[in-house]
Amino acid sequence: MTVQPKARPPHSSGRQQRPAIRRAVAGLALVAAVAGCSAARELKLSLSGSSTVAPLAAEIAKRYEASHPGTRVDVQTGGSSRGIADARSGTAQIGLVSRALRPEEADLVATTIGIDGIALIVNGANPVRSLSDDQIRAVYTGAISNWRQLGGADAPITVVTKAEGRSTLELFLEHFRLDNRRIRASVVIGDNQQGILTVAGDPHALGYVSIGTASQEATAGTPIRLLPLAGIAPTLENVRSGRYPLSRPLNLVIQPPPAAGVAPFLAFARSPEVHDLVEAQYFVPPAR
Amino acid sequence: MAKRGAARFDRVIDTALALLAWLVALLVVGMVGWIVADLLRQGLPRLSWAFLVELPGDAGRSGGIRPILISTLLILGVCLAVSVPIGLATAVFLAEFQRGHRGFGPLVRYSLDTLAGVPSIVFGLFGNAFFSITLGLGFSILAGGLTLACMVLPLLIRSMEMALRAVPAEHRLATAALGLPQRVSLLYIVLPAAAPGLAVGLVLGIGRALAETAALLFTSGYVDRLPDSLLDSGRALSVHIFDLAMNVPGGGSQAAATALVLVALVLLINAFTSWAARRWLGSLHSTTF
Repeated sequence: MTVQPKARPPHSSGRQQRPAIRRAVAGLALVAAVAGCSAARELKLSLSGSSTVAPLAAEIAKRYEASHPGTRVDVQTGGSSRGIADARSGTAQIGLVSRALRPEEADLVATTIGIDGIALIVNGANPVRSLSDDQIRAVYTGAISNWRQLGGADAPITVVTKAEGRSTLELFLEHFRLDNRRIRASVVIGDNQQGILTVAGDPHALGYVSIGTASQEATAGTPIRLLPLAGIAPTLENVRSGRYPLSRPLNLVIQPPPAAGVAPFLAFARSPEVHDLVEAQYFVPPAR
Repeated sequence: MAKRGAARFDRVIDTALALLAWLVALLVVGMVGWIVADLLRQGLPRLSWAFLVELPGDAGRSGGIRPILISTLLILGVCLAVSVPIGLATAVFLAEFQRGHRGFGPLVRYSLDTLAGVPSIVFGLFGNAFFSITLGLGFSILAGGLTLACMVLPLLIRSMEMALRAVPAEHRLATAALGLPQRVSLLYIVLPAAAPGLAVGLVLGIGRALAETAALLFTSGYVDRLPDSLLDSGRALSVHIFDLAMNVPGGGSQAAATALVLVALVLLINAFTSWAARRWLGSLHSTTF
């Protein structure tokens, strides 16, 4: 116990380790190199907000970057409320908001880049062809709970609504003058696509989603049907003309004065140069 | 007569139990098969070499996933570069120096188990508030990787601690009896012996990191451009799948193809990790003794 021989691993093991160490060092150097070349760009715009607007905004951003070298446009999501908050706080120069601005948001300026309509949808197997506003209100408040009361099969209605914080929900509530606390929902969904999947998979479901999404899915053969609202068919033409009652503007909002480089981007996002992108996302370009 | 009846009854029960066990096992395999088959059915037609190397177009409905794949690997790289050294060191501390039920060790373990139960969206909000805003990293691969590191650390440490504890105490006693210092025992005996278990911990951590969506949406972000640096925002595969499946109409098949790539990536990294762990740590073992 008195002698403590200094145990050294044989030399050979040191040699064995070296390639591994060298590889690790090389890897770190690579990471450092990648981190180091964050070249200062002349201009960086950041957008954040509505998950409905984000895919469109990202496409517009890409086209803008291609025609404006030296400008970089980053798009983040998180919902319209976040778009408003980020535009106000300056976290993002431009907020994405999928509804019209409210009176208390008069400090912000909106640029409409597209219009989205909301459609009531039922499963393709459902015989019910139309519902009045009163009937829809009754279903969503729980006063009507069976399709038989609406001229359909004897089956309970699966009421599909959107989660709190979604502007589709806000628009829906506003249009039907409903209070979210009064809504008796069977399923609460987050996004359009989830709503379509829910209704397509349940023959007794009633839900509401973006018209663009719904008509694209219906055309692609997904078993859902769009219901007319107040007798007006839920078509893109009717949304464009403003006849369809349940529609919303897709806005880019800023807190004036606009930061450097923001004004040209807003002008570009409104221009006919991006109308094909707006239509590709199943939205309707704004009338000029 | 009664005895024979009882024996037959036992046999019937045994057979029934065996059948039940088989059935349950088949159900599990069937579930995995179902998921993979569904992904293959929807995603395989879209999958090609071009899908891996092209840039995404039309909000992800056309083109490929090259920037997303690269961002994912960078996020994972940052996550592992931070979490593996810290994780291994903490696991060694807990397994080799704090074996008892008193003192600092139990407190660390309790904190880790609490952290492991925190939902990932909470890590996302924390990462956004701390790394993105307080530290000023913004939406960046670095912020995403660091947030993921915080999230996988509890899992990594606890499984690595288990692996180290599973090494028989006799190994340590034998090196001590030879008069070798603890670092030698740790480096040349315990770590190599625990290598397969450590690899399992690493694989679990990588799996959790690659699957993560909620923690990344608000930290590494949504931008699907090819990143220039770790300070750029970069979209992870899981975020891409979420966006295509939930926000982009007609993005379903691209989402399935991306999911296939993610599953393949997980399997590939798992295989590589266990191979590398055995080889690297195993080489320490074999050359020393």
